[in-house]
Amino acid sequence: MKTGSFQILTIGGIVSDKMKGKIFFGILILLSFIVVFSNGSLGQETPSVCCEKTTSGLFCQNVPASECAAGATQAASSCESTSFCQQGYCSNPFEGTCSSSTPRFVCENNGGVWSEEFPPQCQLGCCVLGEQAAFVTQTRCKALSASLGLSTNFNSKITSEVQCILSVAGQEKGACVYDEGFEKTCKFTTRANCANVITGEFFKDTLCTAEELGANCAPTTKTACVPGRDEVHFVDTCGNPANIYDSSKTNNNAYWSEKLSKAESCNPDGANADSRTCGNCNYLLGSICRQDGTTATCVDLNCGKVDGDERTHGESWCVYEGESGNGKSSAGSRHYKKTCSNGEVLIETCAEFRQESCVQSDTKLSDTQIFSEASCKANRWQDCTSQRSKDDCENGARRDCYWIGGTTNACLPKTPPGLEFWQKDQETNSICAQANTRCTVVYEKDIFGDEDCKENCHCRTADWLNLQKQICSSLGDCGPNVNWIKEQGAGGFKVIGSG
Amino acid sequence: VKENSSRRGQNNYKRVLIDFKMSKRGQVAIFVIVALVIVGVLVVVFGFSDSEGDLFQGDEANPEGFLKSCLEPELKKNSQTLALQGGYRNPEGFIIDNGDKIKYLCYTSEYYETCVVQQPLLKEHFEKELSAMIDAKADSCLKTLETEYEKRGYEITIGEGDSEVKTSQGKISVILDSPVTVEKESVQEFDTFEVGVESNMYELLLVSSSMIELEAVYGDAETSLYMRYYPDLNMEKTKLSDGTTIYKIENVITGEEFRFASRSLAWPAGFE
Repeated sequence: MKTGSFQILTIGGIVSDKMKGKIFFGILILLSFIVVFSNGSLGQETPSVCCEKTTSGLFCQNVPASECAAGATQAASSCESTSFCQQGYCSNPFEGTCSSSTPRFVCENNGGVWSEEFPPQCQLGCCVLGEQAAFVTQTRCKALSASLGLSTNFNSKITSEVQCILSVAGQEKGACVYDEGFEKTCKFTTRANCANVITGEFFKDTLCTAEELGANCAPTTKTACVPGRDEVHFVDTCGNPANIYDSSKTNNNAYWSEKLSKAESCNPDGANADSRTCGNCNYLLGSICRQDGTTATCVDLNCGKVDGDERTHGESWCVYEGESGNGKSSAGSRHYKKTCSNGEVLIETCAEFRQESCVQSDTKLSDTQIFSEASCKANRWQDCTSQRSKDDCENGARRDCYWIGGTTNACLPKTPPGLEFWQKDQETNSICAQANTRCTVVYEKDIFGDEDCKENCHCRTADWLNLQKQICSSLGDCGPNVNWIKEQGAGGFKVIGSG
Repeated sequence: VKENSSRRGQNNYKRVLIDFKMSKRGQVAIFVIVALVIVGVLVVVFGFSDSEGDLFQGDEANPEGFLKSCLEPELKKNSQTLALQGGYRNPEGFIIDNGDKIKYLCYTSEYYETCVVQQPLLKEHFEKELSAMIDAKADSCLKTLETEYEKRGYEITIGEGDSEVKTSQGKISVILDSPVTVEKESVQEFDTFEVGVESNMYELLLVSSSMIELEAVYGDAETSLYMRYYPDLNMEKTKLSDGTTIYKIENVITGEEFRFASRSLAWPAGFE
């Protein structure tokens, strides 16, 4: 009987099951060693004091003592445990905005009010501002109301933004007729505003230009955008918004009398972008009212065809440099998120070294239309190789890994992390070395001298070799791989046969 | 006949040539005159005219209008300079991006940690910085106002005072808190002047503050949601290799932009 050994060396190692445990243990020892080493020899580079202000002008940072600004308070402990850099909530007494994670002295030096615990003045509630609502603090509500010339209407019992918005959505609106001097005039507003603020007579769903009201407001051909609304509206001589702009209804008395809904207005199912005849813009379809001087139009917010697909306003999608997912990533590549906004395509880079990966979900709106949403999210690859079961490996709540089953069981990062492989540092080597494997193939010679494979015969196949390559490149920028400019890399992968 | 006609032809040719030369000279002269007129107009418009606007339109004095046209360019210029540097004239603790210093409004030097807020009350800080930047110009505008009144035979007294900048929905205002008394046939008294310039900086500052809060709590601010809520805003987010994120928030209608940097929840390459 003869044994042959195939050894695959990358710069690291997942291997046959028996070896795997040993190598993992070895790596742990190696990592422990690195940690010990780091704490010892890199002591000067690691944060060692909490510094009130650094030489570069940043507040409350854990940095080496040499980086502390002259005269700045410092303590040989973490900032979390110091009194001078204690973090808490900083509220703005004028605007009512609040920020957390703010050191006390930074807050107070800027005129804020600091507190360690969440302060009541930072509690959000529903602020009704005429026909609109904002989910803000009470102080902010007062500031907003004052800036709009309204009395403060704050409800702290409403605890969610959706509830807050819905609370004003159903308000009755109509013409509020009142006397101004010797004239009867009108304001299109809510019933509550008419009764409490203007103290006029309210006519539900009636426009101020309705003849029966006898107010001094008359139709015009002017158009305007209305705050909080997507559509282009006609405006009357009193400055009130009327129905949605429809060029065919300019002189239509009925259209200037009764308030019509969006669905009852012109072309309600279209975006009406750039339309000269219909101002029924639809934000969800990619158009919105924009004012240009005295006229308003529905402008197109969509981006048209981008990278081969039609992209609408608000849509975002992932862009990869080369292959991505299930352990595939080009060396040196990163992920990108593109967003279509206001007719422009904006590019967001996910974190370097693929410490963030781009994830995308597609929603089918119709047979022909898909709406994509993407996000750069943390790539949780760190503990993939420690997982021993498929369930643990593919637990999406904890990590971003995939499982290889069959003759070789391995849990690997879905998106391999980028490594500073050009530095030839020990860490890169230790990560890549997890892919090292040894497979011992057992042959039996018969009496004629012919060899017959008896054990681990699969290790001689191209499939097994390809699997090992996949494991290797899944661990990071390791092994045989192409780089982000599609050049094939050389080295980093060896197959050694012996025996 | 042929000779005559050829002579006539020669004469005609000469006349045409002379006419041509004359018309060419004439054209050159006209061009020169037109050029001089244009240059003159430009000199008058940009050189001698009062770039700060006229104080008097007819017999009526309009000091607020005068101060507005005097302060507006400076206000806009400085506001934009501040906005591109995270709200700081001379930022400390910044990152350089394409030659611009961008202030870290939230920062941690460590890996795996969320940032520490470096500038709470951003709006108030922006107002203070802008106020300091236009203080000298505000004084100079008041001086010019004084001169303009005096030229018209008015007696004017300008009291000591401060200038203050306030940002609010849709505008940036400068409040000149200097009592002014103007006297000729009658006495006019002004306690303060408020000069307002259209701007959406207030909205940009509040949105930025909200994003800083997300950076401090979650280590990241998702821009897509903001863009959906604020249809007039475009946001760009660039992540650098050291873990810094640069945010650029632009109002697509006014073109105003606010930039700031943050370093929060940064990861190193590998484990570290």
